[in-house]
Amino acid sequence: MSSDRLSNQVRRLRFEHGQMTQQQLADKVGVTRQTIIAIEAGKYAPSLPLAFRIAHAFNGTIEDVFQYDNEHEESGD
Amino acid sequence: MTKLQKRAWFELVGVVAAVAVGAIGLAVLVRLNANGIFNIVIFSVTFLVTGLVAAVSSIRFFSSFDEREKKIYIRAFVIAAGAFAAFTCFISFCVFFIVGGKSLIPVYVLPAMFLLGLFIAQFVQSTAILIQFAWEQADEQ
Repeated sequence: MSSDRLSNQVRRLRFEHGQMTQQQLADKVGVTRQTIIAIEAGKYAPSLPLAFRIAHAFNGTIEDVFQYDNEHEESGD
Repeated sequence: MTKLQKRAWFELVGVVAAVAVGAIGLAVLVRLNANGIFNIVIFSVTFLVTGLVAAVSSIRFFSSFDEREKKIYIRAFVIAAGAFAAFTCFISFCVFFIVGGKSLIPVYVLPAMFLLGLFIAQFVQSTAILIQFAWEQADEQ
């Protein structure tokens, strides 16, 4: 049995990049503010192009912004 | 209120108006006992024009949504399509069992059932969109 969890650093990176507001980030990447809110809250997993645009907005890589925790329960491997 | 929420309210109000107009039109056609190829042509042209305008409007509006709103809209559309199918099946068998398998029903019952099904589908779609947004806002608080 595996448990997949996608987390992100969007909120922290926003504050580190000149106190960027959610609306400013939304305008930069071409989505609504509600989408940024949903991403930060972990309620919505962005598509790959959107994830890349968000990473690009913070001048970083996609791994800097999004982390994927894949926990496997070893079962006799 | 987002563009999608406004669209959901607009479509809800719009479909109520459309069904009202459709019902009145249907009543007039029944009263006039409209039939024949000429009426079929008039109906077909009206149907095509209305359908094209609605389709183009929906496509243009859909393209203005962001990806999350598109997912919300598609999810609501699938639920509405299921509701339309379920209602059509249910009402058809209700009529069957109410009047009996060997009885007759007036022909206007068929378009009336269809109009009602369209109304229910749009109502479900708009409600599904608004509920999804309400859930998100509840989570934020």
